Amino acid sequence: MKNSKLTSPEKLARLKGKLLKQRQKQRPIITVCAGTACVACGCVPLTAAFREALKENGLEDKIEIRTTGCHGFCERGPLVVLQPEGIFYQQVKPADAKSIIEQTIQNGELVEKLLYRDPQTKQVLTHEKDIPFYSKQMRLIFGMNGHMDPTSIHDYIALGGYAALARSFLEMQPEDIIEEVKKSGLRGRGGGGFLTGKKWATCRKAPGEPKYIICNADEGDPGAFMDRSLLEGNPHAVVEGMIIGAYAIGSHDGYVYVRHEYPLAVKNLNIAIEAAREFGLLGENIFSSGFDFDIKVSRGGGAFVCGESTALMASLEGKIGEPRAKYIHTVTSGLWGKPSTLNNVETWANVPMIIEKGADEYAKVGTEGSKGTKVFALTGKVNNTGLVEVPMGMTLREIVFDIGGGIIENRPFKAVQTGGPSGGCLPESALDMPVDFDTLTEIGSMMGSGGLIVMDNLTCMVDLAKYFIHFLQEESCGKCTPCREGLRQLHHMLEKVTRGEGGVEILDDIERLCMVMENASLCALGSSAPNPVMSTLKYFRNEYLAHLEEQRCPAGVCKDLITYSVIEENCTGCVVCKRACPVDAIEGEKKEVHKINSDICTRCGICLAVCKFDAIFVE
Amino acid sequence: MQLSIDGKSVTAQTGEYILQVAQRNGIEIPALCHHPAVEPSGACRLCMVEITHADWGGWKGLVTACLYPVQEGLIVSTANEKVRKVRAGVLDLLLARCPESELIQNLSRQYGIEKTSFIPRPEPDLCILCGLCVRICEKIGASAISTIGRGIDKIVSVPYETEENYACIGCLACATICPTGEITFTQDEQTRSIWGRNFELVYCEDCGIAIGTPEQLKHYSERSGLDMSYFTKCDRCRNREAAARFARITF
Amino acid sequence: MVKKQLFVTPGRCTACRNCEVACSFVHTVNPMVPAEPRVRAYILSETENTVNLCLQCEEAACQKVCPVEALNRNERTGAIEVDLERCIRCMMCTIACPFGNIQIDVKLNEIIKCDLCDGDPACAKFCPTLALEYAETPNPDPKPREVAPLPPVPWMLFSKPPAKK
Repeated sequence: MKNSKLTSPEKLARLKGKLLKQRQKQRPIITVCAGTACVACGCVPLTAAFREALKENGLEDKIEIRTTGCHGFCERGPLVVLQPEGIFYQQVKPADAKSIIEQTIQNGELVEKLLYRDPQTKQVLTHEKDIPFYSKQMRLIFGMNGHMDPTSIHDYIALGGYAALARSFLEMQPEDIIEEVKKSGLRGRGGGGFLTGKKWATCRKAPGEPKYIICNADEGDPGAFMDRSLLEGNPHAVVEGMIIGAYAIGSHDGYVYVRHEYPLAVKNLNIAIEAAREFGLLGENIFSSGFDFDIKVSRGGGAFVCGESTALMASLEGKIGEPRAKYIHTVTSGLWGKPSTLNNVETWANVPMIIEKGADEYAKVGTEGSKGTKVFALTGKVNNTGLVEVPMGMTLREIVFDIGGGIIENRPFKAVQTGGPSGGCLPESALDMPVDFDTLTEIGSMMGSGGLIVMDNLTCMVDLAKYFIHFLQEESCGKCTPCREGLRQLHHMLEKVTRGEGGVEILDDIERLCMVMENASLCALGSSAPNPVMSTLKYFRNEYLAHLEEQRCPAGVCKDLITYSVIEENCTGCVVCKRACPVDAIEGEKKEVHKINSDICTRCGICLAVCKFDAIFVE
Repeated sequence: MQLSIDGKSVTAQTGEYILQVAQRNGIEIPALCHHPAVEPSGACRLCMVEITHADWGGWKGLVTACLYPVQEGLIVSTANEKVRKVRAGVLDLLLARCPESELIQNLSRQYGIEKTSFIPRPEPDLCILCGLCVRICEKIGASAISTIGRGIDKIVSVPYETEENYACIGCLACATICPTGEITFTQDEQTRSIWGRNFELVYCEDCGIAIGTPEQLKHYSERSGLDMSYFTKCDRCRNREAAARFARITF
Repeated sequence: MVKKQLFVTPGRCTACRNCEVACSFVHTVNPMVPAEPRVRAYILSETENTVNLCLQCEEAACQKVCPVEALNRNERTGAIEVDLERCIRCMMCTIACPFGNIQIDVKLNEIIKCDLCDGDPACAKFCPTLALEYAETPNPDPKPREVAPLPPVPWMLFSKPPAKK
């Protein structure tokens, strides 16, 4: 095998130069997004169709097909971007491959039906950069995703990858790196928001050898998938960040703890680590500096609580994934009782950028207390769902309405839930708040890992709180009393509220229990678990009261408090609802007004969904 | 170092925990998952105390006394209103879990709770999941039991709840340490039973009293490096034999 | 200063069992449940009597096998003492002692062994023949000594503060 080891930063620079030269003979590139969402939408047969079509037209050597990491606009997948022009096609089917090649590549004509149409302005947009979903974003971390094949280290190096690593080995001492990270103001993206530089400095100084570097890729929040996309789409950025961190802290062993449910992330990460080893960027004597570092990948077994740092370490040690008290910090006594630095995927991916651009340049983005950009998983009742990367300090309104394109069917906005299951629900009045660590905590929510779930008027806040508490109850490790027993009781209480039982006094009981859980729980899962309840109680108390005092669910969700009936004037007797009803609760002959028997009706809502004449009424 | 617990100035060593120091000074802090024989775990959350420090700018917070390391100048309150409220909440929850446990009933009464305000667990047992049994079993070196499952479904069990995977040596340490009496065993002249398994017994050659289970003695032999031939007599008979040996030593 | 030690001279022992009674008295907390003695006197034959009690071995097997470090040496008296708070009654020590000098008091469910009465062993105090003596060196030529009769029970019971439960 040819020795491809890059024994010095100069060799890396030379390789980059060579790669760029090769690529100057700029060929048109068809980039096909191959993130998990697009794979699910069928990008694999699409890529095959492209290859087929190229072959048919004899263009194999003239045009490159590149399967890239996630572009973020998952809702519209599979996505195809034609470079260098940046023509953006969405929801492309394998059958469309031929027309794209024949019309656009060969004749320069656009395939109209595949272009993006703005749901608000109805305007047809041709280029990726013009689409509001992208134009308002600042894709510093995610930007590379769409331009490179995540399995190719050449792509990463050609785009300037590992230059930060070279710089840190050439020009900087470990202390300088820590100083730079401190100066950048980078805070942990996993939820805690602890200052990364400070963490590193404490770990470097902590007595005890060896020291460990850990990347937390156990992303478990429902709806959040930014870490997954990063590992799938740009694993080298994470690897590079970890090597720089290891060099700064003085660690020789790194671990990536990644969910077993992320097969593509595991695959791409392993390819990246293997490639980095082959190029001498991992292993012994990196860049001939005498510094050794290697990374092992460990797959998690699917427990939400293992995203908690101490539970993660216990799991890495082969023990039950249960958290332990953090009165002695993990930077002093972490994995196997040794000083350990744990950061999440996104945090590690920020590191190369800080070193490359310099802390001052990095810190220009963001707010006073929160620097840089943050990736959010925008989901729920918005028009554009997907991954969005915005500078810290952007308002929720901009994210939800400008990038997210507003609420589906222009229904009224009700709330946005930030920070995953243990985050809080924020009402419309919080929409103009800047999104950063401190503001979110101040108004009773948190940054968390960056989930943003948008809700409209059809969402019942009590039901929502109940949903999250149920999720947490299922995922509580069960080690400590308040979390294990408290969540069960809290769920019971919320169930009572959704049935309209318990009277207003139950709210005092709920608040009292939440206080105990917040104060007495062992780890953040338990102590932040009351957040969805407390924040909805704070901002949407009248919804709770409507359930308890009037036995009414304002959003029409809680099954015990609603009845379905037919509006006689609107019903045409089309029998669609009758046929759809799974429990045969609808009576009535064709062309006669139907009736819903509420004794049989299970309030599943299917009739409401299928009726074309707005003849079903919920109260 | 010096710290203050409930206004009393007490001396402590680096590496000690608040609970240890408080107990030594006669200050009572309730704790269920704590036992000096095993590492603290912080599972029951009953030993919550409030801490603050002159240098912390007025910040105070609740921590578990069993796990919080002492430090110079720490100010600890073990029974203020907030602490009592949180402990009462934890006990209320435990009482809903184990309404029949006398230990929990008595402790709850001290915090003014006669009956749980929550919904009692259907089919309750006495297990409060303190994890003492699991930790002591690990310390003995058998590691025969563990918690399995998670959340509200968590239980203490032998692996896969089947007998084939048995590492239990029948030493009864778990039953001894269990604070609520959930772990029980039976022993008659022929057998000792625990964790759903029957153990044979080894008897003293001389007096015929039961010494232990064969598994237990084998394990002790491996752990201590003592030969199995050691375990043929009970301590009393060995004592008599040794006395005779000593008496007849000639110098 | 030479440390005091507990010396046993079997030839002087008459197996009068004063030592056992004294030991039991000193270690009893609840008068309704008298403690098992930590020392045992034996009549071996018509002419041979002796006592057996813990030798406080330098490398003690009991201490070595204890899984929870509940057996610790009191540096002042040299005795290995049982930390009953820590002890989990696994009985490993009672099995490991080659001399059977660490046992379980079944009534009290407590591991028992000689603790040298915190530096003032009662057995030696009440031994009429100096078969047990607590001294720097054994007395080479003892005359039968006048030993005070064992005090009445109540006085003995309160000679040691009741241990905390």
